[in-house]
Amino acid sequence: MPQARKVALVSGGSRGLGAELVSGFLDRQYGVATLSLTKTAFITNMLRARKGRHFHWSQVDGRDHEALRAFVKEAGERLGRIDVLVNNAGIAMEGVLPTMRTRDIVEAVEVNLTAALVLAQACSRLMLRQGSGCIVNVSSVHAIRGHAGVAVYSATKAALDGLTRSLARELGPRQIRVNSVAPGYFDSEMVSDMAEEQKQRIARRTPLGRLARIDEVANAIHFLTSDQASFITGHTLVVDGGITC
Amino acid sequence: MLTAPTLAQIESIVHDRIRAVLAERVSEVGRLSGTERLSATLGLSSLDLAFVVAELEAELGVDPFAKLVSITSVRSVADLVRAYQQALFPELQRGGEDHTIATAVKRAQTRRARRKRR
Repeated sequence: MPQARKVALVSGGSRGLGAELVSGFLDRQYGVATLSLTKTAFITNMLRARKGRHFHWSQVDGRDHEALRAFVKEAGERLGRIDVLVNNAGIAMEGVLPTMRTRDIVEAVEVNLTAALVLAQACSRLMLRQGSGCIVNVSSVHAIRGHAGVAVYSATKAALDGLTRSLARELGPRQIRVNSVAPGYFDSEMVSDMAEEQKQRIARRTPLGRLARIDEVANAIHFLTSDQASFITGHTLVVDGGITC
Repeated sequence: MLTAPTLAQIESIVHDRIRAVLAERVSEVGRLSGTERLSATLGLSSLDLAFVVAELEAELGVDPFAKLVSITSVRSVADLVRAYQQALFPELQRGGEDHTIATAVKRAQTRRARRKRR
């Protein structure tokens, strides 16, 4: 069922930045497909409000490669095409490496990196056939600066930035752009466990003096997926209020 | 494609897809014999080949390179054709080096006929 409406696939769209992106793409008249491990109130409300129109959700475990591929196929068939992929799904993994369980390391790599690779592979095939497309990987400032206690998380996010640069070179000749957004700390469930004092310390170290709002991170992603960024590829856009400068 | 393609149809479809990519660069694309090297003779890049594979997956419903065959083993047009023929006719994969396509097809046809009789 081909159609003119652009379609964005957002991984991890049930909460936080992912949910913000889903709403933002729908506001921009995109069809949206999203997957998540759990069905949150946000997803339930979206399904009710949209009644399946231009919105598709499936419960998918990011570690299940076949399910990820099947989701891309289903989304492509249901919504007609895929113009944008945002690899947003991720898990925070804190703890020093010497005492971290191996299965936690593997899980972080599977969810934060392997799932993004599988989705990028499946979506890029559709994009190759369309002759255009855009992929944004949600990285982190932890990919740029070293911080104790997040070695595994940093490794997965730095890998995404490497993926961004190489994939931009691979797919550029077919007009598919690939970029990263590296957010600093922003108000989300991922920082909800952080002590208030810790948040204040981060704010003090940030030139702009605060944590980012979630929409400020989402706006950077919307910019990179828009025609305004039509000549930008292979770039990591740092959205951190200046904390890494 | 609603019905399963024949070996000859698979060859024709693969050739058509390669020719379509070549047509983006040159005005006239001749017939392919099968012996042409994808990169050395035809000048196809890895990305061109990825495009052809994506198109063929949409048309034939299979991707031999997901599990069955390594894309790096595909050098010629005939290699690519063979990969799709093997994906759609698993019988072709069995046997040794002397296992010809003709005998494999014959075996497949016999099996299908036997199934039909049941």
